[in-house]
Amino acid sequence: MYKIFLTIRYLRKRRIAYFAIGAVTLCTAMVLIVSSVMGGFLDKLKLKARGLLGDVIVRGDSARGFPLYQELIDEIKQWPEIVEATPVIVTYGMMKFEDSPSVQTVIVSGIKLEETYRVNAFKSGLFYEQHYPGTTTFAPQQQPVVGFDDQRSARKETPEGTIILPVLPLSLADALAKSRAADTNEDDVYAGTRLNEALAEYNLPLIPGVFARGSAPELSNERPRPGFEGEPRDGAIIGRDLVAKRLRDGSYRRYDLLPRGCVVTLTLLPISDAANVDTPIKYPFRYADDSRTGIYEIDSQQVYVAFEVLQKLLQMDAGETIDGDPIPARASQIQIKVAAGVDATALARRLERHFHLYRNDERFNLTFDEKLLLERTEVVTWEESQAHYIKPVEKERQLVTILFGTISLVAAVLVLCILYMIVLQKTRDIGIVKSIGGSSAGVASIFMLYGVAIGVVGSISGSVLGTLFVVYINDIQDLLVWLNPAWQVWDRSVYSFDEIPNTVRPIEVAFIAVGGIFMATMGSMTAAWRAGSMHPVEALRYE
Amino acid sequence: MSNPLMEAVDLRKTYRMGRVGVEVLRGCSLAIGSGEFLAIMGKSGSGKSTLLHLLGALDVPNQGQVTFHDKPIYAPPTQRRFRPGVLDTFSFWEQSRIRLRRHAFGFVFQFYHLLPELTVLENVLLTRMIGTPWLRWGSRRKKYDERARSIIERVGLTARIKHRPNELSGGERQRVAIARALIHDPQILFADEPTGNLDEDSGGRILELLTGLHGEGQTIVMVTHDASVARAADRTLHLDRGVLATN
Ligand SMILES: Nc1ncnc2c1ncn2[C@@H]1O[C@H](COP(=O)(O)OP(=O)(O)O)[C@@H](O)[C@H]1O
Ligand SMILES: [Mg+2]
Repeated sequence: MYKIFLTIRYLRKRRIAYFAIGAVTLCTAMVLIVSSVMGGFLDKLKLKARGLLGDVIVRGDSARGFPLYQELIDEIKQWPEIVEATPVIVTYGMMKFEDSPSVQTVIVSGIKLEETYRVNAFKSGLFYEQHYPGTTTFAPQQQPVVGFDDQRSARKETPEGTIILPVLPLSLADALAKSRAADTNEDDVYAGTRLNEALAEYNLPLIPGVFARGSAPELSNERPRPGFEGEPRDGAIIGRDLVAKRLRDGSYRRYDLLPRGCVVTLTLLPISDAANVDTPIKYPFRYADDSRTGIYEIDSQQVYVAFEVLQKLLQMDAGETIDGDPIPARASQIQIKVAAGVDATALARRLERHFHLYRNDERFNLTFDEKLLLERTEVVTWEESQAHYIKPVEKERQLVTILFGTISLVAAVLVLCILYMIVLQKTRDIGIVKSIGGSSAGVASIFMLYGVAIGVVGSISGSVLGTLFVVYINDIQDLLVWLNPAWQVWDRSVYSFDEIPNTVRPIEVAFIAVGGIFMATMGSMTAAWRAGSMHPVEALRYE
Repeated sequence: MSNPLMEAVDLRKTYRMGRVGVEVLRGCSLAIGSGEFLAIMGKSGSGKSTLLHLLGALDVPNQGQVTFHDKPIYAPPTQRRFRPGVLDTFSFWEQSRIRLRRHAFGFVFQFYHLLPELTVLENVLLTRMIGTPWLRWGSRRKKYDERARSIIERVGLTARIKHRPNELSGGERQRVAIARALIHDPQILFADEPTGNLDEDSGGRILELLTGLHGEGQTIVMVTHDASVARAADRTLHLDRGVLATN
């Protein structure tokens, strides 16, 4: 009874105990922050990689790709374990916007849009598709332009005359109305385009994205109508960091120079059937949409075009030799979505064996070269395909957490020192308590309780502090950068993600908090032992 | 005299200071009858406190034995542990001494020895807090509280019940200490120079209090170097060069 009573009294009266609590708080928070950020980083990495790749990937080792991909897809789609499979072609190229002087090196992926939507999370990262659902397509299309429509345009009477504002083509306006009715993504809309500035001036709803022409209010009589103009062109989806600039608040700044539907030319290197690099070809695409995965490396270099178009441009489509023998079409990857609960690793192994059997299959009659390409394919899970990237991070996380945990021993030592000091200060009291019947174990447990209390209070406040810190870590970073740009800790081009991971896992918090309490208890042990074994008479005589 | 309440036989205590041993008690024997007020006199440094600590089960003698109600309170000499550690709490002899301190003995010291963080009431209750198991505290708390208040009234400090020791005078503090020593109705009250640190006036009040308690049947063993103080007792023993002598 008296133990708790005295513990509470001592805790309240000893200001120095707050230092011990502070030390435990800081150490708990520190370990929590490190482990959460690194753990969150890892999770994000895994999630993103998986979301982009599908669960299982068939990949070849040559830029020429591998044959029989469609035969494999048609077969395995019948398997109950497989939900969807889609071929992909990956190559490198140069990208140039018609109205921009700069040329960029990009990775060009040929994908089947509808299938990709089903295999991974690609669709949710598309900007125009979010705001104008159903309007993003790889099919040849003209460029949408905004213009003036006597029925739909807003008008304002001014002393100078009637001002009327441009509107979207009807089909886009309808699509926008649909997404607004469902759930708008207004926060994603950059207000700084000329058109949006004009709309904002008249308190009209902003138009997401950038569209050609008709940017400013119109006073003249020459009023182009909203609609579609120019040559129909194949669509391309471009990584968002290639077309817009990310602002510190997380939104993207878009440019009037790069409207939706403008021409973007890709220069590609086809490889001939004889495995020679052919003359580069230039092909104009239409900027159909832009995608954001959150991984900077992808968003700053990926361009997606229609699988069939890229296949043809790279001469990977089916054909005939001069002698009239058939040449099978080729792809560089197959991305596969696996049904829930299926062991992806086992499936990958099975799939690989199965695909390699095609090599000598009578049905296909492959040439030696083609057999080689097929034989060199491998089937991996998304984790395996990213292992070179994920494994080191996993190890790093363990290492750093252990390291900081060890550093936290400092807190235990501090608790020990402070409690030892208190024990010495309280020597006389210890003598008194013993002289009126307190046992050695009882006295020791007062100081143990004291240590536990320090641990509990410190751990809880450390957990709260750490959690807050992690949750607001990006704001803290922004603040630091605002104070001094050189304090940018998180470089998004280095760490792949544009935000510092800020998820806190409750299990981890609990584990670390218990660790903190344990440390403080261990720290208080020695002091408690010393207090308990004090001789009552000597303690009473202590000056 | 029937069987004495407490009896000490041939108590010896040696303090080791490095290699040299200082033999402070060299064979003290005495008997304390129930209801008696015994004074032990001696010069400063003669070993009075040491003797009192041994009688009150606060320390362990090198030789000799103390019996309380005819029961020994120290282990046989060969099994004695002079510096009991935390784990000794659970040994038989340590346990029985803890029980005596909790329930049978009360101590008053020269320097009051109150806990500074606690109020007067809490200081007085502390003896009971220590002596009561966890689960019983709730049901007994009220009774103890009343008892503490009446004892505090007895020593005349009702007005100071919420004060802390540093807000009290020396004499008042000593009265709190006496109240603390009395709350559990000890069979023997040990007082180590209870007036040694007080002026004549307050000292006198403390002595009055002690004689009053004695009048009500309280057994008291008091240590003092002051003959005028010793006169309050029924009987006085003199401690000189480690042995006791009647006058
Ligand atoms: N822990 C100790 N170590 C060494 N000597 C001690 C210790 N405690 C007391 N003494 C010595 O024992 C003697 C008796 O002390 P004490 O019993 O306090 O005397 P008194 O109470 O009569 O003044 C003194 O000389 C003192 O110095
Ligand atoms: Mg003394």
